[in-house]
Amino acid sequence: MRLTWPMTRRRFLFTTGTGAVVAGVLGFLGATVRYLFPNVLYEPASRFPAGHPGDFPAGEPSFLPDRRLFVFNSSAGFYAISSVCTHLGCNVRFVAGEGFACPCHGSRFDLNGQVVSGPAPRPLAWFGLSLSPRGELVVDERRTVDPDYRFKV
Amino acid sequence: MPDAARLRLWLRSVGRSVFRVGWPRTDKDRAAAMISSFFLHIHSAKVQPHSLRPSYTLGLGLLSFYLFGVLIITGIALMLYYIPTPLAAYRSMKDLQFVVTFGMVLRNMHRWAAHVMVIAVFLHMCRVFFTGAYKIPRQFNWVVGVGLFLLTLFLSFTGYLLPWDQLSLWAITVGTNMASYAPWLGDYLKYLLLGGNVIGPATLLRFYVLHCVILPAIAVGLVGVHFFRVRKDGLSAPARPEPAPVEEERSGRFPASTRSYGLMALTDRPALPVEETDPEAEDEVMAWPHLLYRELIVLLALLVVLHVVSLLFDAPLEELADPTRTPNPAKAPWYFLGLQELVHYSAFIGGVLVPTIVVLLLLLTPYLDSAPRGVGVWFAPERRWANWIFGVLASVAILLTLIGTYFRGTNWAWVWPWTG
Ligand code: HEM
Ligand code: FES
Repeated sequence: MRLTWPMTRRRFLFTTGTGAVVAGVLGFLGATVRYLFPNVLYEPASRFPAGHPGDFPAGEPSFLPDRRLFVFNSSAGFYAISSVCTHLGCNVRFVAGEGFACPCHGSRFDLNGQVVSGPAPRPLAWFGLSLSPRGELVVDERRTVDPDYRFKV
Repeated sequence: MPDAARLRLWLRSVGRSVFRVGWPRTDKDRAAAMISSFFLHIHSAKVQPHSLRPSYTLGLGLLSFYLFGVLIITGIALMLYYIPTPLAAYRSMKDLQFVVTFGMVLRNMHRWAAHVMVIAVFLHMCRVFFTGAYKIPRQFNWVVGVGLFLLTLFLSFTGYLLPWDQLSLWAITVGTNMASYAPWLGDYLKYLLLGGNVIGPATLLRFYVLHCVILPAIAVGLVGVHFFRVRKDGLSAPARPEPAPVEEERSGRFPASTRSYGLMALTDRPALPVEETDPEAEDEVMAWPHLLYRELIVLLALLVVLHVVSLLFDAPLEELADPTRTPNPAKAPWYFLGLQELVHYSAFIGGVLVPTIVVLLLLLTPYLDSAPRGVGVWFAPERRWANWIFGVLASVAILLTLIGTYFRGTNWAWVWPWTG
């Protein structure tokens, strides 16, 4: 007597075979996509010494071009604001007494990096500071902080 | 037999092994030459006079194809000097400009041909729309065409970074940041494109491989499909009275409306002359010389113009890329300046929403506007609405691009071009 399965043997083999091929192809595609995301980046470190506190003149911003960063030495303490415009990544310029202006699409930010006008969707990033054992000011770009942040040395 | 005659015979047999037909002197030979040549048989042996009229196609598809060819040849030549790492890339550009004999001309040709190709492909798309040529049975070839249009833009865009000067660095900064506004995927997309978080050596290498290998390979494949379909469907033409279906069509032995049934019928029923199986064949003319010579003239004209332009005008090269100093204004490549103009109001609208809607609309065009009316003539009155909508949208796109290119200055503020 013939067993009546939900499907014939031929159909069963065809289905599992097709399924295996599809799974294989999907796995291969997934692996390829994953491969395209690098694990190690040879980019500048996101935590780096910016210099000795004494190097930063009080009252005016120091621009670190390689780091695209402004470091401020205020009476209340140090703080660091990114110069990367949150719109499309151009470098903002510091305008004394006003804040920051972006050359690309005209976004403007106040002295705290908050958006005043223009297409920028977010305020400029503020980064956390610390002191290295050698007494250097260290910027950590992975640690963003609020605009009331001041770092006392 | 004298030796000279034998030699001639031998040479002739060698020649015939390459060119089966030899230089054709009769229509029959010309047809045979067209059919037996790998390169020529992309054409049918006979064509409708309608498809030869320059005023119908404006030769724009052909021009796009030639420009693509020029870009491949000049591009390969440039690759021999180009080194895809940041400082060396810029140095290769300087070398091409000042050290390599004719390097500058090659670079100019590559650059200008790329710009013109973007324009030619866009105008070709407009031509196809305004003549209703995307309608049945050519819907999918329009979709393939949209793919080619996007590839053309992306090819230009990836090439833009390669000189590694200020112009390229900041255009690509703005361009890739636009991608990061895509919902959910945006940041991954940008990371993928850059091969990291900032534009650097990894980015340059990725753009290089995309520009020189991946995208051209896809484009060559799609152009192949595009041409195959144009050949099979024939060029769009005004409706004619339906020919009575031949016996094989009625009995379903082979499908209606493929250009090949005439030939199949020939082998199937050798007693019937071509004219009786294909009533259109009567007024058709030989592709050699009528089509072939026209194509050659267009090619010749293009090459002359491109050479003159490349000898007279140099492709721009600014200072070495400097991630710390943004030029003011920083502009994307010109064909994205319409988008950048929108991006200046809202990055999401200009960078994501509008492009997505435009691409979707383009892809769906033949399926949304599917009534088979008004095909084969420019601005058919039956298609007034479709043409108006497309015309207005295309004009807005052109207008925004012009504004972004000529009317935007420092801080993206409005300027009049003549106050420069
Ligand atoms: C690399 C880009 C492209 C190349 C090289 C190319 C080439 C061609 C050529 C040589 C023809 C023959 C007729 C003519 O010369 O006008 C043609 C026809 C056609 N193309 Fe393209 N094309 C490209 C892009 C596009 C685009 C962007 C579209 C539309 C979105 C498109 C849609 C069509 C259609 C529907 C036809 C058939 C037209 C008819 O039968 O009248 N193509 N193409
Ligand atoms: S990048 Fe700053 S306003 Fe667009």
